Amino acid sequence: MNSLDIAKIVLVLIGAPILGCLLAGIDRRLTARLQGRVGPPILQPYYDVMKLFQKDNMVVNESQNLYVVLYVVFVILSLLMLVFDADILMIVFVYTVSSVALVVGGMSTGSPYARIGSSREIMAILSYEPILILYALAIYLLTGTFKLSALNNTTTPLLMYIPLIFISMMFVMNIKFKKSPFDYSTSHHAHQELVKGMLTEYSGPGLAGIEIGHFYEYVFLLGLMFLFWKVNIIIGLLVALIAFLFVIIMDNITARVYWQWMLKISWTILLIISVVNVLYLYVAKIKLI
Amino acid sequence: MLKTTIMLLITAPILFSFLFVALGKSLYKFLAWAFFIVGAVSSIMLVLDGTGKVEVAGSSFALLENIVLILEVLIILFVFYVSAKHKNWPTLALIAIQTVIAAYSYMTIAKVESVSFNIDQFSQVMILIVNIIGTAIILFATGYMDQYEKHKHLNRQKTFYFTMSFFLAAMNGLVMVDTLGWLYLFWEITTLCSFVLIAYNQDEESINNGFRALALNLIGGITFSLALIMLSTKFDISNLSAVGTSSTAVAVALPVILLCIAGFAKSAQMPFQSWLLGAMVAPTPVSALLHSSTMVNAGVFLIIKLVPAFANTPLGIAIAIYGSFTFVMCSALALSQRNAKRVLAYSTIANLGLIIASAGIGTPLAVAAAIMLLLFHAISKALLFLCTGEIEHTIGSKDIEDMSGLIKKAPFLTMLASLGMISMLLPPFGVLLTKWVSMEVASSNPIVSIFLILGSALTTVYYVKWLGTILSSSMDKNAVQHLKPETYFPLSLLGSLIVVTSILVFSIYDYFIKPQIATLLNIAPTVSGQGGQFSSEIGAFAYAVIFIVLALAILIYFATKNMFTPRPAGYYMCGENNLEKDKLMFRNGIGSYDKSSVSNIYLQNIFGENKLTTLGYVISILLIVIALVEVVVV
Repeated sequence: MNSLDIAKIVLVLIGAPILGCLLAGIDRRLTARLQGRVGPPILQPYYDVMKLFQKDNMVVNESQNLYVVLYVVFVILSLLMLVFDADILMIVFVYTVSSVALVVGGMSTGSPYARIGSSREIMAILSYEPILILYALAIYLLTGTFKLSALNNTTTPLLMYIPLIFISMMFVMNIKFKKSPFDYSTSHHAHQELVKGMLTEYSGPGLAGIEIGHFYEYVFLLGLMFLFWKVNIIIGLLVALIAFLFVIIMDNITARVYWQWMLKISWTILLIISVVNVLYLYVAKIKLI
Repeated sequence: MLKTTIMLLITAPILFSFLFVALGKSLYKFLAWAFFIVGAVSSIMLVLDGTGKVEVAGSSFALLENIVLILEVLIILFVFYVSAKHKNWPTLALIAIQTVIAAYSYMTIAKVESVSFNIDQFSQVMILIVNIIGTAIILFATGYMDQYEKHKHLNRQKTFYFTMSFFLAAMNGLVMVDTLGWLYLFWEITTLCSFVLIAYNQDEESINNGFRALALNLIGGITFSLALIMLSTKFDISNLSAVGTSSTAVAVALPVILLCIAGFAKSAQMPFQSWLLGAMVAPTPVSALLHSSTMVNAGVFLIIKLVPAFANTPLGIAIAIYGSFTFVMCSALALSQRNAKRVLAYSTIANLGLIIASAGIGTPLAVAAAIMLLLFHAISKALLFLCTGEIEHTIGSKDIEDMSGLIKKAPFLTMLASLGMISMLLPPFGVLLTKWVSMEVASSNPIVSIFLILGSALTTVYYVKWLGTILSSSMDKNAVQHLKPETYFPLSLLGSLIVVTSILVFSIYDYFIKPQIATLLNIAPTVSGQGGQFSSEIGAFAYAVIFIVLALAILIYFATKNMFTPRPAGYYMCGENNLEKDKLMFRNGIGSYDKSSVSNIYLQNIFGENKLTTLGYVISILLIVIALVEVVVV
């Protein structure tokens, strides 16, 4: 590991939460404008986190904050692996650790609201995980390896050959950002639910930790979208930005659906179009390298 | 030296089985400890002795051959006797067919002059699994069976320990012997032992399930003996290692598929899965033994040994699709189950399906994944089954929903069970690592890939549900954990084995798997283990980094724990709590008190057994028929 790598790590550790925080701030501002409100300052998520850290550490279960630490640490790890062009399939599995930590953390409190939220989040995992792995498979089929470093040697963007997976991934973004219509495990909108689902029993520093984790997660998820056009950084960032705006707009124009609907949509439409896309790659034998 | 160890591995368990019969109940604990130590030492001795072939010929062979013949006759007579006694006609019919085939083969098959044992690295791994995990399970049983029998009003422990120990002897023989005739004998002994153990409770249900296991495995036995006759008369092959030489691959395809079907039956793959599900009526140590270290492993063991005969052939592809189909189907079925033992049973079948799928793909890396998954799965599944048994003793239920709050009732047990579950589905543990390898190598085949992807997501779901449930805290504390050394030693041993083997994964690969693949396929997979990375030509898995990060996360938690003093509080119940009585009570609409209860989502109407089982039968039988037709036509 050379000094450049260390600089990269430090940059990710410090830069990603700042970026994520700004994204969250923009999200809240945009959402407010779409709802005809003025909205909070862009730095509001930062003020929230700082305030949460000063609150008492109220817990139902003494070990509930262990899961927060696991969640944050593994989100950071998956982001770092993405930055270092690791194996995409392994990134998906490491990312699963963080999702599972949050689910189990919610259940560990024993609160009925949190358990309902966690159960629904498990269903969300069932909905999006196959698509994430199909995305990984598609990258393998196009580059001949699961290592993302191969994408640096390509000249054609992935999006050209896997547009259907891109569409599915847009929905995955919606699920993973926990945005309406798929925000039933825990919601950002007060009008969608009275109690904060999976995170009901988290408050103070624990909740602050989860918020910081979300900042990293936003960057990680948009990083996955960036891969679709990695050959050109500007367009890649644009793709990520479009995905982000798509999530916000969907969030504001839709109402929460039943979790059963999401499962149906993802295991029928999204999965089928992704599989079709993958089968096309098998049949056409397209190689980017 | 090698010969002595081989003999020791077969005779020592037999000796212990008779000791269990001869000695009284009060000594079982000491016997089991002794058995565990002997098992562990002799299996390590075998590894230290190295690999090689051992032949037994001459007068001692003649004596042994007679014993084998007598045992075969005794087995047949015993099955005739029990099936007639319980009027189980299908079994009777099957054993009649079996007898005819046996008589025919006795007359036609050329007599072998010697019996040969083939100790390769795969046998060594299997011996370690059988003799360390298997004896640990027997040790666990000494802390389990008294309470179990008291509860069920039984007194059959002599039969129990005799059969369990004999089972290990047969299993040891099965994984070491190379002569097919003898392999077949050990194969049938394991079938019989599992019948006796499944029918242990002697009530209607257990006897029926025992007969189902017997009948389905007899079908496998019949295909096995047919393959034996074919190999002997047409190809003059009497050794398992000779079937594997790829020069004859196309010619021996039919006997190979017949042997594979025997393996499918033994490994409880669809459509044979019902016997393993029925097997859970037996006491938990039996399930643990069947699922992790013996019985089902025999099937995949045989299939992996046959890899050279079907690698890179259409038959291999058919086997890969069949295995991955079982994987996805059983993972879906596991999702709908509330009974912890049923979840584990489906999970076992699914993971064996994954092993078979990897073997079917047949590339060096895929076969390596198959053997490694066999090892890691055995450890994790043994731990999970034993934990389920101990949980049942602690809270009196094996329903997953009843396990909520277990962390408060039995913290240590819950930690071990969680470790088992986490090791089944999350990195950096071995099972996930091998699953990752399987998924990467499967990417050459779209159908297998897609099945594996769906099955993998389903696996995550059914384990996370259960994991979250046992780790959830609850306010009622009406259970006590009994920390008996003979139950908690095996559990802790298995728990630490999971961690140690996962950390040492590359050393295990280098020492056992790599030379084995070189023997089987003549080429070793190109895998490097530098810098704690398991990397092949198509991917890299940095398991060391994840271990470090995991340790770091736990350190961070403990370092920051005291920065924010935790202040315990009750649940949030929208202000309608009734804190005096029970923290989970709330005031309902008519002003009286209700207890809140939340259960997991099981999706019974999508993935329920009544929805999927028939479909599973149809497709799996179809896949086997296609494989058979393909072999016969080609």
